[in-house]
Amino acid sequence: MNNFTKELVDSLAEKLLIGLTEEENQMVLDEFAIIDENLGKLEIDGLENVEPMTHCLDDFYCTLREDIAEESIPIEDLLRNSDQTEGREIEVPKVVGE
Amino acid sequence: MNYMHKSIEELHEDLINGQVTSEDLVKEALEKTHEVQEKCNAFVTILDDAKPGDVTDNLLSGIPFGIKDNYSTKDILSTGSSNTLKDYVPFFNATAVENLYKAGAIPVNKTVMDEFGMGGTGTTGHTGAVKNPWDLSRSCAGSSAGSACAVASGVYPYALGSDTGDSIRKPAAYCGIVGYKPTYGIISRYGLFPFASSLDHCGVFSRNVRDAAIVVDAMKGIDKNDMTSWDSSNIHLLESLNGDVKGKKVCYIKEICDIKNYENPTEELKLHLENFMNVLENIKKLGIVVEEVSVDKKLLDAEPSVYVAISCAEATSNMSNLTGIIFGPRGSGANINEVMMDHRTHGFSPLIKRRFVIGSYILQKENQERYFKNAQRVRRLLVDTWKKLYETYDAVILPVGSGPAKHLDGSKDILTKDTAVLEEHMQIGNFGGFPSITIPDGFINDLPVALNITGNVYDDANVLNIAYAIESQMNFKNQIAKEVK
Amino acid sequence: MGKYRAVIGLEMHCELKSNSKVFSSARNSYNEIPNDNVRPVDMAFPGTLPVVNKKCVQDALMMSMVLNCKQPEYMYFDRKNYYYPDLPKGYQITQMASPVGVDGHIEIEVNGKRMPVLIHDIHLEEDAASLDHYFDTSCIDYNRAGVPLLELVTEPCLSSAEEAVAFLEHMRSAYKYCDVSEADTKKGQIRCDVNVSIMDMDAKEFGTRVEVKNINSFGNVYDAINYEIKRQSELKSQGRYDEVEQETRRFDEESGTTIRMRSKVDAIDYKYFVDPNIPKFKIEKSWLEEIRKNIPLLALERKDKYMKDYNLSEYDAGVIVKEKEYALYFEECLNLGIDAKTASNWLTTQILGEINHEEISLKDFYLTPVLLKQIIDEINAGTISSKQAKEIFYKAVEAKKEPKSFINSDMAQISNQEELTKIITTILSQNETQVEQYKNGKDNLFDYFVGQVMKETRGKANPVLTKEILKKELDK
Repeated sequence: MNNFTKELVDSLAEKLLIGLTEEENQMVLDEFAIIDENLGKLEIDGLENVEPMTHCLDDFYCTLREDIAEESIPIEDLLRNSDQTEGREIEVPKVVGE
Repeated sequence: MNYMHKSIEELHEDLINGQVTSEDLVKEALEKTHEVQEKCNAFVTILDDAKPGDVTDNLLSGIPFGIKDNYSTKDILSTGSSNTLKDYVPFFNATAVENLYKAGAIPVNKTVMDEFGMGGTGTTGHTGAVKNPWDLSRSCAGSSAGSACAVASGVYPYALGSDTGDSIRKPAAYCGIVGYKPTYGIISRYGLFPFASSLDHCGVFSRNVRDAAIVVDAMKGIDKNDMTSWDSSNIHLLESLNGDVKGKKVCYIKEICDIKNYENPTEELKLHLENFMNVLENIKKLGIVVEEVSVDKKLLDAEPSVYVAISCAEATSNMSNLTGIIFGPRGSGANINEVMMDHRTHGFSPLIKRRFVIGSYILQKENQERYFKNAQRVRRLLVDTWKKLYETYDAVILPVGSGPAKHLDGSKDILTKDTAVLEEHMQIGNFGGFPSITIPDGFINDLPVALNITGNVYDDANVLNIAYAIESQMNFKNQIAKEVK
Repeated sequence: MGKYRAVIGLEMHCELKSNSKVFSSARNSYNEIPNDNVRPVDMAFPGTLPVVNKKCVQDALMMSMVLNCKQPEYMYFDRKNYYYPDLPKGYQITQMASPVGVDGHIEIEVNGKRMPVLIHDIHLEEDAASLDHYFDTSCIDYNRAGVPLLELVTEPCLSSAEEAVAFLEHMRSAYKYCDVSEADTKKGQIRCDVNVSIMDMDAKEFGTRVEVKNINSFGNVYDAINYEIKRQSELKSQGRYDEVEQETRRFDEESGTTIRMRSKVDAIDYKYFVDPNIPKFKIEKSWLEEIRKNIPLLALERKDKYMKDYNLSEYDAGVIVKEKEYALYFEECLNLGIDAKTASNWLTTQILGEINHEEISLKDFYLTPVLLKQIIDEINAGTISSKQAKEIFYKAVEAKKEPKSFINSDMAQISNQEELTKIITTILSQNETQVEQYKNGKDNLFDYFVGQVMKETRGKANPVLTKEILKKELDK
């Protein structure tokens, strides 16, 4: 796929909040060349008429949950894995913008 | 005296008879854990302070077991073998784990895996590669490498695994034990760290089919926290193992099993397929009808790509919660984006990062139709093809992989051009949510190889019963890994 | 503007009422304690899964019907993927492929005229967490994460800020009539995005579309639209229309202007895909029918009914249906047997005047229809005058005491024919001169006699009866 460039890889990674080294970037490019070739195998006649399978059990219909509230989780449990908290909240560097 | 090589039923009897106590078993399991850790690096966490439990009527009570590190375990470190969660101690149990606790089962360790299950070598976990107990220079395959290694080494009779592509069924094969991934949704996924939600299954490693049935009987059940789980209270796996398979029909696929399909096959591959065909001949003696079927080669060839596209796409979304804000080590940086990026850049291994990038490319608006949706369409075609087979056959039976375990130094877990359908066909079991079990079927160069039996959804009892009958005919039941080199 | 016409589309987000959140069993209620309405899934702890709340789907389907949308046979949810600190999962669960409603329309009233508004779709989704900003940090409260939101998207079919606000008011009222939301803008329960473009009067192609996001009051919607129309029109008439970019802006309340956030080029690709964790589920016909049966009459329908069935004026009917609680009060009065006109008069004048003055909700108003009836019954029985009735009304409201307790014998009107005749004959005998003048044609003295009777009785004489007797006695 010729539009799969180093710049595209970096921009994709950045949107995923991931930094890539030069080497990692190159690996993605190499890998993608293979994947793209293999994904070409997905082009099978009449495929456009097939409904995409989005769930594992396609014939499965669930029931919905009744509207009953459960008790909140104790605050010490909610916060115990966060490295930065303030009072009952998770603290982050000031969020500006939207 | 040693006990941990025994089956669950034998251990239960010994416990009931007072021949051994839960405390003895826990002690032995922990000792073995340390030995195996030394040799194979199979564990993220060893629960040295594990407490013995009461012995009740429940077959699992008082007996030690292992848990793959992507199951959420309350107050026990649960890392998914990733630096992003290297200190994460959950405050709740995965439903499957909770169900085993209710049965009285005793966890003694958390096992190493490929980071978040994304890998098939057992080498990408943050605590290092897991070695195969049969040959320390080989891998266990993955991703549930530690669980497979531990059960094969006789640390305990069973351990939990998870299976998104073949992450239970392939390591089981390479370690010479049983690996069972039941129908999607029979076991709740609540508390299982997700890799690809539409493909992720909970399951178990054991050394015989009966044990696998016992454990899944205890793990399963509808869960209000997982909408994809379903009521299986009318399914009793252990009870349904009667060994009567007369008139059962299984099929194998010509395009996968015929050695003529392979250019320059290795000696191992030849032996593996030959052994498989011999086993098929033998099982006819059980009254099983075995037939060869043919499946569209083009469809089969597309299979590995379907898996890559769907699993990478879902994974990139599923792991977007790993930002180091609520859990995981907080990254550093001048603003919130830098802080999240620092966490992710340093937390994930290169392999995972590459897959995220690919997944995100596949999901881009302009690419979705060509890659993601086409993959989902081929997924349906493959599942429909298998369902069609199940109209005639009770199960599809196929060899696992192209031979025994691969060498650690050779196994770079990069997606190569040579993704043979033979290596990847078990992923179809994940596409359709089919019950699928791997059992050992022989040895090549003293290393175990295996076959896989996959049946129709909800037909777990039938699949297990066929596996049980075939297992009884062979001599690989309850085998413990013997280091060959 | 003049030579151009504006094309406006709206997106309206409204929080739904429920006991628990939409994909989580945590409480859905306002809570001042941070992180006190939280279940594991609300903070995206690894392994947690969404579970769909039936009531939220039901309420969403009801609104889909109110908007005359088509409901899907099977329902799905999709993931909208993006990173933001208020979005713990890194994606929002929403609906793209199969929303609760598509292709709808609803009639609204703008300056007394009815017009249809076309609905693109309406979908159910989850709200994000809220951020509290401090000097150099922000703190995250997940109480709001997972709260059900209903988002409706109109077609670009509106042409003025008036129409846009009329539509929003109409929908706010519909949400309240259907009892699916408190729909309180003050509590941030409604948020809007608007799309504005302008075009030449006779043009066929739409102009460049500018989106203004996250507006939190209808007043601001009005101002933002008018500002955009003005801004775009000025650029266009100056021949600088190419400076109008397809972009996202925000409304700045202080300056009353819109400010650029990002252009189309920087638009986020949300990489929508169907959430595999929520199985598709079938919307049964029987369920839809049941929901449809429970849709109440909405404002305009009630207005028509009040005018037709109860002969209310358009104005009064309009005032009463404006808020659900007014309509409910009015209808309760009717149920108690109070005459519609009387009920309407009391409600639209005294009662609304009082609650507006006191800035309270009608729900919190002391004088319920049952208590109001005590006053009206006395008027009808002729025991009190309408002037007295008003006095009693205010006394009762102020003291929060039943009106009955203010109606005593002392206050009762003199309606006794004999008693009044006696008083009147006495007065007439004391005013012989005036009686003579009246009889000679000075008609206006009649009021003088009435006044004398009232003075004598301290206003308690039944005025109708008084006039009747006076006339009879004077004509003797």
